[in-house]
Amino acid sequence: MRRVGLGVLVRWETVLVLLILAVGVWCRSLSPLFLTRVNLLDLATPYIFIGLMALGLTFVIIAGEIDISVASILAVSVVVLGQIYEAGANIWFAALVGLLVATGLGLVNGFLVAVVGLPSLAVTLGTLAAYRGLAFLIHSGEGVASFPTQFTNIGIGYVWGQQVPVALLVFLGAAVALGFLLHATRFGRYIYALGANREAARYSGIPVTRARIAVFGLSGLLAGIAGLVYVGFFGSSRADAADGSLLDVVTAVVLGGVDIFGGSGSMVGVVLSVLLVAELRNGMQLDNIGGDTQNIVIGVLLLAAILAGNAIRALQTSGLRTRIARASKKEVVRTAGQAEGTT
Amino acid sequence: MRHHKLKVLLGLVAVAVLVGALSAGVGSAKSDRTAGPAAKQATYKIFLIPKFIGIPVFTLNGKGGKEAGKKLGDTVTYNGPTEASAAKQVPFIDTAVRQGYNAIVISANDPNAVAPALKRAQDRGLKVVSYDADAAKDARTVYVSPPDTQSIGAGLVEWVGSQVGYKGQIAILSATTTAANQNAWIAVIKKTLKKPKYKGLKLAKIAYGNDNDTKSAQETQALLQAYPNLKGIIAPTSVGLPAAARVLQQAKKCGSIALTGLATPNSMRAYTKKGCGKKFGLWNEVDFGYLAVYVAHAVLDGKLTGKAGESLVAGRLGRRTIGKNSTMPMGPPLVFTPKNIDKYHF
Repeated sequence: MRRVGLGVLVRWETVLVLLILAVGVWCRSLSPLFLTRVNLLDLATPYIFIGLMALGLTFVIIAGEIDISVASILAVSVVVLGQIYEAGANIWFAALVGLLVATGLGLVNGFLVAVVGLPSLAVTLGTLAAYRGLAFLIHSGEGVASFPTQFTNIGIGYVWGQQVPVALLVFLGAAVALGFLLHATRFGRYIYALGANREAARYSGIPVTRARIAVFGLSGLLAGIAGLVYVGFFGSSRADAADGSLLDVVTAVVLGGVDIFGGSGSMVGVVLSVLLVAELRNGMQLDNIGGDTQNIVIGVLLLAAILAGNAIRALQTSGLRTRIARASKKEVVRTAGQAEGTT
Repeated sequence: MRHHKLKVLLGLVAVAVLVGALSAGVGSAKSDRTAGPAAKQATYKIFLIPKFIGIPVFTLNGKGGKEAGKKLGDTVTYNGPTEASAAKQVPFIDTAVRQGYNAIVISANDPNAVAPALKRAQDRGLKVVSYDADAAKDARTVYVSPPDTQSIGAGLVEWVGSQVGYKGQIAILSATTTAANQNAWIAVIKKTLKKPKYKGLKLAKIAYGNDNDTKSAQETQALLQAYPNLKGIIAPTSVGLPAAARVLQQAKKCGSIALTGLATPNSMRAYTKKGCGKKFGLWNEVDFGYLAVYVAHAVLDGKLTGKAGESLVAGRLGRRTIGKNSTMPMGPPLVFTPKNIDKYHF
């Protein structure tokens, strides 16, 4: 059964690669500036903080939950970082506290979901507003703007002959580490089992509560790391940081082939979709296509991707038995098999 | 095995559909571009980035900017994000640099967050002019600001005073208690009321309508009930003023209570013509964008460097001068009355 699951992912990623190539051809026709080395290397830099949040959210969604508070968590960690640094502390200490706060806020989400037993959409809808409010409470106004270069390099620096953006390496590094965690560890298998069928996971001895809390903590941590890159790139630590970027984060995860109902998805897919969206925006901007039209194109892309994904999955799960199982909510059969494999 | 072929086929269909949809997108987007045959003769390429696109005031800024561009022979591109987010403005700044634009004109969502990108642009030889909402000082050459606080605050008092014979109880209908511009105007209003000319005017209350239509209307009704002798209302918010006008009209109090404030003529036209809010103001958003592009052009020409006292002749707006902090104010606000309101459409 697992073999089939992986097969789906490989094929979905193939579609994404094809899309990246097709969009590349299209962007080349839009602007001759698209296919220059400077542009290609820098094309994703402004979107790295979104990509990092998407990597964290991937775990949450695969586990069958949702976390819409990530942008607000980023804002709190960014403001905390700014205030601590302004108070005279070492910037790296401030960054560490920012990461801890972000992880803590994520764990609070996890506690409310897994221990108190509230639905994650309701919980993170609440903390979406509450954390943003907290950020403004900690500091409203212009915030700190003069950070040392050695720190801002995380978001805005370049290495290897001033060619490769550090932020891109941070993103790819995080993706590799998290990809390993998701695809090659026991924890990762727990996450898939949770998303496919939580009850089955519980009965097969998976520490469900702990795993669910951990998933939200991880999402918070990634929002914190995204915050570091955000401060580095934009050089500003205001409470409205990353406001309005939530949709982009969710888009990246869903376009990456992660099933919004949980149980399937891959890190490579999410990375590819982040790059695809960045490429698309960059190409359209080079042609001065209006921001509203850009949104329409991205929206159509997302819808088409979901439709295509569904069609592919439907074809994959041929055979009456599986179809019935799927129709009755989750793929009980597959989950049971998967869960057994992990214990 | 049959399924594999099907899957591949489906992937290809998806790609084809997408490419089709995307090409359709380009077609509809052409209208956003000003580049055309004329672009080749243009002296400068100027990129105008509002806080966000899609609301009338910024669209009007863009219209004014393009009008100035036409006059000057420059190519002016108006584009920006659909949300008021600094993070979403930055990609526009970066691509403008790569596209070879000569100048960026921007209304910044966060003065600091756009600064690194603007400085990158300056390093590559682009000139930066901020307008409407300033960027960090070292990231731009000149800031074209809305009319200064003093002339708006003093104007509001004069507009209401002249309607009531400079005598009687007045109230202010503001937006939120924390809005910086509102509080600055209110401070000037209070100071102006101490002048001998306005001694007869008594400020009874400051109400807050939170820039929300319903709340503004409710607060206006409360004012009418609490102060039966009220002679005038100042509503320096584009949401509050039309809401107050509507309440006064429904209560048939337009004759006895003078109304003034700041709002677009379009939102007040019906009321003003019927005598509700016979005198109110706003700066001209078309002229705002027009002036900003003229300033950018002069900066590119090396005629403006941001020093106080430097001036330029900005087309139909006449001579404008730079003041403190490299800031050039828009000049006095426009005043709308039933007589002239039909000349303005924004």
